[in-house]
Amino acid sequence: MTDTTSFWASWELFRDAALAGTFAGAILGALGVYVLIRRMVFLSAALSQAASLGVAAAFWAQVQGAPPWLATPTLGALGGTLLATALAGIPVRSSRRDGLLGAIYLVGAAGTLAIGTKIVQELQDIESLLFGSGVAVLPEDFRIIAWLALVLGLVQVWLHRGLLHVSLDRDGARVQRLPVRFLDFVLVLSLATAVSVSTRLLGALPVFAFMVLPALAALDLAQNPQQALVLSALFGAASGLGGYWLAFAASLPVGAAQTLVAALLVAVVRVARVLGDRAQAWQAHRAHALLEHQAHEHGPDCGHESVTHGDHFDYLVDGHLHHPHDGHCDDHGAQ
Amino acid sequence: MLLQIDELAVGYQGRAILPRMTLRVAPGQLWAVIGPNGAGKSTFLRTILGLQHPVAGTISRGPGAIGYVPQRSEIDSAVPQRVIDLVRMGVERGWRVLDPLAARRNPAVEAAMRDTDVTALARTQWQRLSEGQKQRALLAQALAGEPTLLVLDEPTSAMDVHAEAGIFAVLERLRAERRLGVVVISHHLALLARYATHFLLLDKDEQLALVGERETVLRHPAFLERYGQVLDRGGRHD
Repeated sequence: MTDTTSFWASWELFRDAALAGTFAGAILGALGVYVLIRRMVFLSAALSQAASLGVAAAFWAQVQGAPPWLATPTLGALGGTLLATALAGIPVRSSRRDGLLGAIYLVGAAGTLAIGTKIVQELQDIESLLFGSGVAVLPEDFRIIAWLALVLGLVQVWLHRGLLHVSLDRDGARVQRLPVRFLDFVLVLSLATAVSVSTRLLGALPVFAFMVLPALAALDLAQNPQQALVLSALFGAASGLGGYWLAFAASLPVGAAQTLVAALLVAVVRVARVLGDRAQAWQAHRAHALLEHQAHEHGPDCGHESVTHGDHFDYLVDGHLHHPHDGHCDDHGAQ
Repeated sequence: MLLQIDELAVGYQGRAILPRMTLRVAPGQLWAVIGPNGAGKSTFLRTILGLQHPVAGTISRGPGAIGYVPQRSEIDSAVPQRVIDLVRMGVERGWRVLDPLAARRNPAVEAAMRDTDVTALARTQWQRLSEGQKQRALLAQALAGEPTLLVLDEPTSAMDVHAEAGIFAVLERLRAERRLGVVVISHHLALLARYATHFLLLDKDEQLALVGERETVLRHPAFLERYGQVLDRGGRHD
């Protein structure tokens, strides 16, 4: 049985976890377009680490006897993300912004490592928190990510015009009296909830990857930001599901496999884009050459070398044999 | 009146960087904002656009929208955007942007693209446009909101002379046909002397804010001292 066949044969076992990765990939992929346009990649890294610290802190609090209904990992992740968002919103000079985000990232990563070593449970350990090596999700967690995907998807359908406008041209949006603060709030809330819920399920590494790599590929391929949102959601979903399959087939950690699939998509799109651009440039060159050629008359003094081709003479132009006759000129192919 | 500015002081953190200014922008007027680099021109522009608070004084806007044409360098070339996408953004106003049913096809978009001669470039990516085409696309974006006042920040910087003249010719046509009020920062004195109806000469270092009609300012000693020779040569100043 091939890996693919056995993967689908075992689908019932993996369905919730694989679909959770797919939903998270789609949400974070779409939101990643805003992250890249607003140049806040480092913020997304800091948020995912802060969320993982929140999850670790919630488990630790449970071990210490805190009521389970209060110290839930999802609430912990949300708390960590919102705290990090509030800290990142502190007005500092732009030159210090990166430093502040770096501090949040480092405290998140180090804190998760420190606390994570103290909590070893059935579904959560330090590796799954940081790198997403978990292979199962609880039914209630699956329901949360499914509802979140639906709600955030509807928010995008409703508000993407305004969210993109504010992200692309903030001054223009303010001059046009768009509700900039409201749209900022919606975007930050979307990011905070998506990052916290996804980090709790998948781990910090794939969450960060989903927020950067699908959008990178989508912006390379799309004609406009709206298309990029759709493409990025699709690439994110494909990375989430494809990564789960790769993890199954190659016995890799899920988070690492999802990140690698997303990175592969970026590479494939980049190569396709470069080849497409070259083909377009070549076509433009050919069209230009054709125009020049149509205006050119071959003859003994035209400047092109005359060569024998079968039973007639041709002229050599850029390695191609040109044969003028009856008022037009045929290309007899490369010499 | 499209814009009424009374005793306006512009600056940062409560500190004025220029003397107080009073001026009125009426329909059909083209105001040229000139001065050396770092003179406070952009601070003035950002203040009248509402992007930063005035230190003192009042700014009253008349009826109708303001169209803002930023510098071309402020558009991120790494983000894919066609001319049509850029121009459509100009239609959005206030909370209407939250209406998901707002029509994508808007006659104002087509009219703005026609007026600025970018209709044939509608599907062209921003990064593939020439500097002159980019400026016309940004102008179309501002016009798509059907403004009564147009504010432009150095629309002809990094352009060749031919493209510069083309942009000012479009502005002049819009001013005449649509009775638009225009406020423009530019360094090209020869074109400004030809098309502007009013001047605002700013110089932060000399604490100068000279306001007036074209003939008045062009003959003023403060202007002649700075730009008399430049204008005689028909060129731009730095």
